Amino acid sequence: MEASDRSALVSEDGKNSKSVQCGRCGSTVLSAGAAQFAERQLFLPSMQKKTSLGGAGHKGDGDGDLLTDHWLVEDMYTFENVGFTKDVGNIKYLICADCEIGPIGWHCLEDKKSFYVALDRVKHV
Amino acid sequence: MAKTYDYLFKLLLIGDSGVGKTCLLFRFSEDAFNTTFISTIGIDFKIRTIELDGKKIKLQIWDTAGQERFRTITTAYYRGAMGIMLVYDITNEKSFENIKNWIRNIEEHASSDVERMILGNKCDMNEKRQVSKERGEKLAIDYGIKFLETSAKSSINVEEAFFTLARDIMARLNRKMNDSNVSGGGGPVKITENRSKKSSFFRCTLL
Repeated sequence: MEASDRSALVSEDGKNSKSVQCGRCGSTVLSAGAAQFAERQLFLPSMQKKTSLGGAGHKGDGDGDLLTDHWLVEDMYTFENVGFTKDVGNIKYLICADCEIGPIGWHCLEDKKSFYVALDRVKHV
Repeated sequence: MAKTYDYLFKLLLIGDSGVGKTCLLFRFSEDAFNTTFISTIGIDFKIRTIELDGKKIKLQIWDTAGQERFRTITTAYYRGAMGIMLVYDITNEKSFENIKNWIRNIEEHASSDVERMILGNKCDMNEKRQVSKERGEKLAIDYGIKFLETSAKSSINVEEAFFTLARDIMARLNRKMNDSNVSGGGGPVKITENRSKKSSFFRCTLL
């Protein structure tokens, strides 16, 4: 992410200056100021729709993205609206509670105080 | 960090397969995105925030997600539940008859003071209706439970249902609080006092 983009989203104290919403349906995930900006390389599976997968045209690369910029919260109840997937190994992925698009975020069961939402997978309003 | 909510309620959706429990979990059912990845691994629970009487309430909503097919809904699933939505499909007589079995299951496994509510879902499909609204109401009255007909598809009464259940839980907590104040017990029932429970939270899902 460009530094200029980031400064528009991250306040001086490292929090999200805007509310975090689902990029597709606009459901509010986090209120402004609720989360801390954090850098950590995390792999999130692709958000592509079912029908566009599996065809000859779909792009490979492990079907996902390695993302570095995240909003971090310590308590899952900080979220306004969010869904959790079932466990994949020791990971639970976060999705939009309303339209269920995802994964928009990542949580490891071994670290109960870290819930990440990728900046690139949401919109900021 | 300062706590940003007043109450936390754990709610369950119970009922036969295919009655539309999962659809009650999101607002725009036809709009659901269903990525390959998400639909393959499945959804465990959702957190939703509502405001009721000026109080910010976090709802943690669990769906049985198919376990009901195997009749394996047991104490582990009910643990900590404060409210249960009993859901049937108005176009499916059998799912209505089974509500009684689900109520028995709740009585066996859930906390005795759990708030319950019966929902007759898919009320947008009136032309295929097998269970009249009156029968739903009658059943609810027999058990002393509130009742609503809902349509997740047409967004009829879905929010009302969750608000009603949340309001009933809040009323029960307030009654409890008043009772305990009489005997010298302290303070509102708030989530900070229950923090210790959280560490075991995810273990509840290992059924």
